[in-house]
Formats: sequence, structure tokens, C-alpha cells
Amino acid sequence: VSGPVDLREFVAGFLIEAEEHLRVARANLLTADEAARRGEASPRAVRVLFRSLHTMKGLAAMIGVEPIVDIAHGMEAVLRAADRGSGELSTAAVEQLLAGTAAIEQRVRALADGKPVPSAPPRLLVALADLDAESMSSRPPPRGALSLAPELDAKLTPSDREQIRVGLARGERALRADFTPSPARAEQGLTITTVRERVSAIAEIVKIVPLSLPQSPAAPGGLTFVLLLLTTASDEAIAAATATTPHELSPLAPRVESATEATAGAGAEAPVAAALASNEASSEDLADDPRVQGGVVRVSVERLDDAMEKLSALIVTRFRLGRAVTALAAEGADVRALRQIADEHARQIRDLRAAILKLRMVSMRELLEPLPLVLRGLRAATGKRVRLEIDAGKAELDKAVAERILPAIVHLVRNAVDHGIEPAEARRGAGKPEEGLVTITCFERSNTQLELSVADDGAGIDREAVARRAGRPLPRTDAGLLDLLALPGLSTRVEATKTSGRGLGVHIAKRITEELGGELLLRTTPGAGATFTLRVPLTVTIVDAFAFECGAQTFVVPVAMVEEIIDVDPARVVSPPAQRSGGRHVSLIERRGEVVPLVGLSSLFALPEGAAARPKAIVVRRNGEPFAFGVDRMLGQQEIVVRPLEDPLVKAAASPGVTDLGDGKPTLVLDLFALSSAIGRRRAEVTA
Amino acid sequence: VNALYVLFKVAGADYAVAAADVVQMESFTGATPVPGAPPYVAGLVQIRGRVVPVVDVRARFGLPAGEHSLDSRVVVVKQGERVVSLLVDSAREVLSLDPASFRPPPELVVEQAAGFVKAVAQSGGRLIMLIDCERVINEERRQ
Repeated sequence: VSGPVDLREFVAGFLIEAEEHLRVARANLLTADEAARRGEASPRAVRVLFRSLHTMKGLAAMIGVEPIVDIAHGMEAVLRAADRGSGELSTAAVEQLLAGTAAIEQRVRALADGKPVPSAPPRLLVALADLDAESMSSRPPPRGALSLAPELDAKLTPSDREQIRVGLARGERALRADFTPSPARAEQGLTITTVRERVSAIAEIVKIVPLSLPQSPAAPGGLTFVLLLLTTASDEAIAAATATTPHELSPLAPRVESATEATAGAGAEAPVAAALASNEASSEDLADDPRVQGGVVRVSVERLDDAMEKLSALIVTRFRLGRAVTALAAEGADVRALRQIADEHARQIRDLRAAILKLRMVSMRELLEPLPLVLRGLRAATGKRVRLEIDAGKAELDKAVAERILPAIVHLVRNAVDHGIEPAEARRGAGKPEEGLVTITCFERSNTQLELSVADDGAGIDREAVARRAGRPLPRTDAGLLDLLALPGLSTRVEATKTSGRGLGVHIAKRITEELGGELLLRTTPGAGATFTLRVPLTVTIVDAFAFECGAQTFVVPVAMVEEIIDVDPARVVSPPAQRSGGRHVSLIERRGEVVPLVGLSSLFALPEGAAARPKAIVVRRNGEPFAFGVDRMLGQQEIVVRPLEDPLVKAAASPGVTDLGDGKPTLVLDLFALSSAIGRRRAEVTA
Repeated sequence: VNALYVLFKVAGADYAVAAADVVQMESFTGATPVPGAPPYVAGLVQIRGRVVPVVDVRARFGLPAGEHSLDSRVVVVKQGERVVSLLVDSAREVLSLDPASFRPPPELVVEQAAGFVKAVAQSGGRLIMLIDCERVINEERRQ
């Protein structure tokens, strides 16, 4: 059955998957890099990397994007060689693999933008091929072996052995546990899949080897699974997870490797390739990845926004329902039952809204994944010795907030390395470890706020120097110091960024946090370092809005409310007699054969009447009725973060919230629907 | 045991608010007017990323409007969950006073000041009126 295939759909699918694989690849390359810097191997990371690239290669081949196939192929070869060795990657290899990942990413982006995909960089392909050849020639067989039955031992690849060796060196225990499936156990929910999930929560699974047995009542399938594990959990816990008893577990005590094993190791290349190709093996390593374990779906933000939009429509309908019920009650109908249902309905909509908001949350751990890469670059650029520790815990943040604060975090980390961490000699002189430390920690401070800190153990910030540069009095507090650091004037001075300033970074970080309705804090101790803390709301409402000017004041209105923006020709505005309009003058204009009431916003808000050269009107439509608001000047369209106005003093119906357009001052977000119906109501009152 | 009070001036008179209620003080560079808000609300300001309504104390106390100057200050106060700021002519001093030196104001004054003045103290030949913050920032139910 062959029909026309929609390639675009494939490409869209590829883009989503490629993004995920690139993310996985980068994360594992960093793990491998960390391990390489400690002189350790990282067999696990190598395998995950291999699989990600292998999959990406296959997908790219399917849609015919040869450059990606070529690069992935070159990287794959290096990784296969590393896996056949002991899972060790040199820093040079990591360097090239990162370059390869970046090259693939570039091409994925070109594909996404519908641009021509550049061919694979030949230099990179050569460098990858050289690495591959190098590793083939000079890889010593790994040392250290295990006490295992020969048939199992033969199934272990050198990288399995290396993984076990590394685990033992970390102080973990290597254990063998057997799980024999049976119909009775399956009925209790015990299958190799569930056992794998349970075990991976408390142990690292090196390998799962299926072994055939003579059929018996204990093994009705004639099959058992041998799980080789690394763990710090107790025997009891492992036994419980594998549905066995503690004395059935056996340790894989290391023993001296003999000559025969070395040959067994060398001959174990085929099983690696087989294991990599089989699903069994790939699910084994992915089993402890929460994204896979929990059954995670990746959804584009547009779809979530679309769901939210549909829900907004539902909320509007809900208001109408409420009004209809009130109207019925006013006519004397018994609406008790109806009201109960309407209330229940309102509650359910609220719950649904909360559930959709929750879908938009991303884990901070995931958000911060690019940071080690940033640090790696900074290390190379500055030549400073510094490491990064991230403790993101389980904190989550709305996607929109997350995307906005990431640049602020990057700026602060960059500042910490550029200006905070001293060169090694200076640190030695100050009695500090030569390697500097930058720490990122974050946690949910409350149900509504996230706190994230970027701390360094560097020289701290010199108040006097900053005050001198800024030409201001010496700040008495860290808050005052932060205000000076955030002055855009200070940051643009070149000499300031070199000595005392913190570049534009602080200014930008402060802007970003404050636009989100959060705050930036600073704590610094001379000689001991500086900590910048961001407090941001967990969720924000972001809408597309028009900014406009009226009576010398700037306002914004959500684009979604606006039907049209029209020019107003003052000569064609008709003013009906206005004896009882209560100060507000409603005029009439004609628009495409329709009569539209027009109210000047400045007269409505009692603002000084501006002399607009070319007045405009914003047309909204409520319940089928058009309404035009006269304004002086349109300023443009932009995305804004809406912060609700909650204080009773300013909780005006016309303005549910404010935004910061970047000038550090609140700008009112107008609800023109509410305004138009308020005017309608007032008119009704007047006539009544 | 003495407590700290933030002193401010409105139309030449000295007022005080407990320093414990004051979050911070900032110079006043204008507020964003909010249509529909009570007439004594000067508008909104953004202070350290937080959007705070500004109560114009002159307007609140029924005093004639004054010119805003370089001395004008907003005193940001916290009342429970709410954070509101007070626009005053100037605010320069923090004074340590014995809370016992504050006496209830004469009955006539209570009536005239619409309850905005909670107590009166004498210090260094000045009369200092302790304001009832809660009352100042809450709109009374007008029927």
C-alpha cells in the first residue's frame, strides 16, 4: 500500500525527536567530560550517546538529510570504539563530539527554518575519523574481573566490566539477582519490566542477561533473568525489588584478571553491537530515566496555549451562564438546583485551569542542563579553573518564566567566572582551593515563588571601587550596591567591567527578574564571594498586546481583545446631543456600513486631552456589538508579562493587571471588554 | 523599652509610623494613575520589581494638594499581606521613642482626623502624631 507521503509531517516529527536526542547527547557528553577530567571512564554515558546518535542518524536518513547522517555516523564510530574499549573518552574526543553535536544542531535548525541544510564540515569529519583510528590502535584491555559463571562472564563487554569497576571504586556493591518470571508472578504484577523499574529506583542496572533453564514448577517458562547491579541499597531492599530473598543474591567480588579473560574481552565486540541494536538493552539503560519511566509526552507550547485559549472561551461562557442564572432568579424562578450545578461547574473549570497550568511546568534540572556547557566555554575562554555545582532538586517552573530567566542565569554565571573567581595564584595566596566553585541552587520558596541563587567563592564585590566608578556615594548595604551594579551607565564603561563592575549582566538580570514581577538580591563578603538570588513567580501570564498612548499615558490592551484598529477622521465623527451622558461623551462613527459608538479614552479616564495628529480607535466587539475607543497614538505590538492588580485600592474593573514595558514603571493593561460593558451599564442606569 | 518610629512630614505637621511596619523608603518620581481608583490614590509605582499602590497622604487627610519636590518620599508599609506606600512631603528621621509616651488623642481630634491619628507624643518640643496605617490604606465603606 503506497500513497503520497507527507514529508512535512515527518520533518516535524524529526525536529521534535532530534531536539530531544541532542539534549540527551549534550548531557551525556558533559558527564563523559567530567569523568575524563577525573581520569575515569563513563561507559554508561557512552552508550546512551551512541544510541542517541544512532537513532538520529536513522531518522535523518529516513527524511534524506545526508549532512546529519554523515556527522552522526562519524560520531557514532568514535563512540563505538570507546564502547569497545572501556567506555573511556579523551577530552579531545569530547571536544570533537561536542563540535559534532553543535554541527548537527545547526543543521536541525536550518531544517526547522526551511533553509537549505549546509553539508557536513569536512574538517570535523576528518577529526572524527582520526579519533576513531587512534582508539582502534591503542586501547589496552581493561583490568579487574568478576566472579561470575562462565556463561554469564562471556556475555559481559569490556565496558560492562569497566562500569562495574567504576561502581566498585565509588564504594558501591556489585550484585547478581535472579528473577524468574511465571504466570502466577505476572498476575501479581511482577514481570521483568516492573522488576526493572523497581530495581532501577535503588540500583544501577549494568546488564540483564536472559538465561534458559530446564522447565520446572519454579520456572515454568524455562527462563530466568540475571540482573547485574551496582547499588548502595541493602540486600533486603534489592531482594524485595527483585522478588527474591537476600540469601539468593550473590556478590560479584572482584578477582585478578587472568590471560583468558583478556581474550574473552577482546572477543566481546559482537555482543555490544547486538546489545545496542536490541530493544532489550536500550530500555535497560533508559529505565531509570524518569522521562521514559513515567511515560512522558513532549508537547509543543503552542498546543498548550491553544488549550488554554479554549479554556478562556469556556470561562467566558461560564460567566454568561452565571448572569443568565441571576437573570432567571430576578424573574422569580427557583434557581437553587441550577445555581448548585453552575457553582460546581465553576469549580471544575478552576481545577481544569490549574491542571493545564501544571502542564506548562518544566523541571529546573532540565532547564539548567545547558549551564555546564556554558561553564565549559567560560573555562576555556578565561583559562580559570572553576567547577559548577547545580542543585535543582525537584523545583519546576512555568515554561514561559523558565525561558525568560535562563538568560539571566547565564549572565550571572558568566559574571561569577569572569569577575568573581580569582586566578589560581591569587586563590592559592588567599588560602583557597585553586579550583573555584560556582553553585546554582534553587527551590520553590512558596506555592507561587521560586528562589534561585548563583553563588561563587571568589573575591566578592568591592563596594568602594564600584562607588568610585559610578561616581556615587559608598553604598551602605548590599541592596544599595546592587542598585549601583545594575546602573546601565556603570556597565557600559569598559574599565569597569575589567576591575570592579560586573558588565551588563547584572543590569540585564535585574531587568528580566523585575519584568517577571520578581526581584534580584545580592549578598557579598569581601574575599569570600558573592551570591545573586533571583526570586521569580512560578507562573506568569504572557499575552501579545498592543501598546498605545492616550492623554500622555501609555496603556496596553491584549491583541486577542481587539477586532480592528482604525483611523478616525475627526470630520466624520458624529456627536449626538449629550444631555444626560454623565460627563462621558459617546460619539458615532461609521465603519463598513455599521454604526459604531466611539468613546475617547482620555475623556473616559479624565486624562488631559492630547492633540493627536492622526487619532486612532481600537474596536472591540462584545456580544456582537462593536465599540470603539479613541486613542492618540499606537505604539506597537509586543509580548508582555501581565501581573494582576490585587490590592483593593487599585482593583479597578478596567485594569485587571499591569506590565513593565521595560522602563521600570507599571503600565496598565486595559480590559476593553469590561470597559465597554461598564459604559453600557452606566447608560442603562441613566435611562432607567 | 524604646521602639523605632519613622517620622514624616505632611503639610508642616510631624507624623510617625512604627518602623517595624516600614519596608523601605524611596524618592518619588511619579506614579502611574489608575482610572477608577479612589481620588487619594496617586497611582502605582514599581519598587524592586513589586507593584505598589501609592496613597497620597495629603489627599487622604483632606489637605490641599502640594507640589512634589526632591524631598517627596514614598514610605512603603506592610499591613498583613498588603504592601502599600504613602506619599509624604518628606521623611528623614528615624526616632527611638518609648511607646508609653504616646497618648490617645483628645476626643475632638479623633473625630476631626477621621480616626487617622491613633496617638500623640511629645518629643523635643514637637508634637508627633502616630497614624493608624490600617485605616489610612483601607477604603471605608461609604453607604
